Amino acid sequence: MASFEGFEYEVIIVGSGAGGGMAAHVLTEAGIKVLLLEAGRDYDPVTETPMFQQGHEAPLRGVSTSDKNFGYYDATVDGGWQVPGEPYSEAEDSRFMWWRARMLGGRTNHWGRLVPRFTPADFKPFSFDGVAMDWPVGYDEISPWYDRCEEMIGVCGDNPGLDDTPSSSDGVLLPPPKPRVMELLLKSACESLGIAAVPMRRAILTQPKDDRQACFWATPCGRGCSIGAAFQTTTSLLPWAMSSGNLKIVTDAMVREVHLNDEGQASGVTFVNRTNGEDMRIDGDHIILAASACETARLLLNSKSELFPNGLANSSGEVGRNLTDSLGAGVSGYIPALRDRPKYNEDGHTGNHLYIPWWDREGQKKGTLNFSRGYHFEVGARFGSPGMGIAGSTDGYGKDAKDEIRSNYGTNIGLSLRGEMLVSDDCYCEIDEDTTDQWGIPVLKFHWKWSDQEINQVAHGLEWGRKIIEAMGGIVNNPDRTAEEAIEEGGQIIHEVGTTRMGDDPATSVCNQWGQTWDVDNLYVMDGGVFTTNPHKNCTLTILTLAMRNASRLAEQLTA
Amino acid sequence: MSTIYNSKMSRRESLKRIGTMGAVIMVGGIPVACDTAEPEVVSLSSTPIQGHWPEIELEAITGPTYGTDPIISNPTVPWSLTLTDVQRDQLAVLSDIICPADERGPSATAVGVPDVIDEWVSAPYASQQRDRVQIINGLQWLDDEAQLRFNANFVSASSQQQIKIVEDIAYRSQYDAPEFEQGARFFSRLRRLVFGAYFSSPEGIEDIGYMGNVAIVGEYPGPTEEAMSHIRQVADSLGLPPITEYVVK
Repeated sequence: MASFEGFEYEVIIVGSGAGGGMAAHVLTEAGIKVLLLEAGRDYDPVTETPMFQQGHEAPLRGVSTSDKNFGYYDATVDGGWQVPGEPYSEAEDSRFMWWRARMLGGRTNHWGRLVPRFTPADFKPFSFDGVAMDWPVGYDEISPWYDRCEEMIGVCGDNPGLDDTPSSSDGVLLPPPKPRVMELLLKSACESLGIAAVPMRRAILTQPKDDRQACFWATPCGRGCSIGAAFQTTTSLLPWAMSSGNLKIVTDAMVREVHLNDEGQASGVTFVNRTNGEDMRIDGDHIILAASACETARLLLNSKSELFPNGLANSSGEVGRNLTDSLGAGVSGYIPALRDRPKYNEDGHTGNHLYIPWWDREGQKKGTLNFSRGYHFEVGARFGSPGMGIAGSTDGYGKDAKDEIRSNYGTNIGLSLRGEMLVSDDCYCEIDEDTTDQWGIPVLKFHWKWSDQEINQVAHGLEWGRKIIEAMGGIVNNPDRTAEEAIEEGGQIIHEVGTTRMGDDPATSVCNQWGQTWDVDNLYVMDGGVFTTNPHKNCTLTILTLAMRNASRLAEQLTA
Repeated sequence: MSTIYNSKMSRRESLKRIGTMGAVIMVGGIPVACDTAEPEVVSLSSTPIQGHWPEIELEAITGPTYGTDPIISNPTVPWSLTLTDVQRDQLAVLSDIICPADERGPSATAVGVPDVIDEWVSAPYASQQRDRVQIINGLQWLDDEAQLRFNANFVSASSQQQIKIVEDIAYRSQYDAPEFEQGARFFSRLRRLVFGAYFSSPEGIEDIGYMGNVAIVGEYPGPTEEAMSHIRQVADSLGLPPITEYVVK
């Protein structure tokens, strides 16, 4: 037992987002004392979330600025594409964007809450198509944990039974909200093309659950949710863990190094108190890193010792490598037939109610596609709160222009492609030996390069996205845009994973299937770093589920 | 005080007005993702501009921004407004030409659009500072043009005279007319700002018919019967399969 400020604990967790929050809950529920270190400030969505505030109440009507990259009301504290005083660098000819937050609950406070499951093929991609590496776990083993995780966090959605949408057990899901009319038109257009649009799974309570309220169908989820209807660790896992009496949270604690003892065991960490810049060294019997894939890799690479001169738990040399993000690209258009359509409240749960799962695994089996894996389309198509971009491309002035904007309101549709990129030797992060942050911690340097795989996949998506919008009678924006122009930057989708991947072989992976590092057996990784590959399904559900499973195993061992 | 425009800045009373006109075009800083970005950026073309364009150089506004951790549940604007009374009067006239009152909603000035634009161009962010250069030059160009044509300031010209000038810059096709290119680009940007500010105001939200941002107890009601009936007709007219409500499996 180590102790900090009079609190005795067995486990240190670094990070309070999806992985760290889940690990804290599972361990403390099992009666294990946990010290949780969070680099950002304390944060309480119950009192801090702007609910119902409108654009006109905010500076600049709430638009994005360099201070608040997703707009004034976005929950992110002291972060976004840049964290003040904590830079990162990019290698020559590389572009990578790294979204961070410095707040309790991390990025779970503002995420999209989209929670599709990975499929059996997603866990065994090499067996399926001979590309990349299989995960050391399979769907059959993870499936019951998905059920438990979905039940715990609260997921609305459906089991349409498609190849790309594995079903949850009966009774796990909450009912999805009714689709909006443009989503129904999209569904019909998709049917005409032989593909399906089905309810998006989201971590939104459509019915009350424990002490959390049901969604009241207003206020964008990216602001956080004061009533706990949109899942974030700060209204669920962390308060639950606190109420066990077994958790102590230390905020503004930026970990700079994990220490190793003479027996080759992790023995504790040193963190910087971000409020006064002072270092504090503490002991720990078991250490879980859940700082986010890249931040965890940075911490390991910066923790050098005689035994691990290239970074802790890095005998494989794989720490920081195998970095992937989801592919992103947008297709948008305008549906003239919907001008002046009847008004009603289309806020819903403020995300897309329907989406288009990947439909062509058969094509890959037959070799008719020029890329591996696949993508899905998220959908933006509704009467939204009017903002500074409402005029669109309206020309002229006066009543005609004003009427044109009124008529066009609610006629635009955007399809966001989210695809799987392949693990590549060209994409990784390493320590930039020339740069440190304001705490003197060496920063990350990112290397990034798209391959034909990604470009071909985006080209396929652009073609299909345009086909879908045209089937809706729509006029496509930028119909000639190429995949190279359309593909978003690496990191921009904020699904970065893989930097401490798990595998069956210590020579080619950092962690085993339990998130336990091969090199140091009391050191665990429970964030997205452990992903072996990056299926196109948004990563957070699987981060939560693996953390639940792996922390449960650790709890069993510690309480045996 | 402005002679034409009565400010609607009641909730901005804490802001003090200062005028700053000086040198240097601000283009530094990180490019900002901004949902109002005009598809066409401010032209810095090397071909000589025909006609006239003021080329006013402005000192960068370097005051405080709201930072990376503002109290978002209780917003405040930390920067001062910077437009002159003359500029605000011009904006008032232009805003109402762009967005006049009609049977469905009030005018731009009635909902305080010039205040919003003043707050916008006075903000110390790179993308707003680019707008500031374009707007202030555009307003000066209007005065210069009015002087050349009618020997009057834009604001004191007759409505007919004002419209004559506006008609020469109000359409994107006029980007191709060398003497009006800069003016037309200015007008496009201003149009987006005016309508954005108008339709995001409480009155504009009501005008356009946004019905959300209200708490609903129980299930999300979904489309009305009228909306369903309309979308069925649309699908039918497009020759699509019939609209069916999604049935949860």
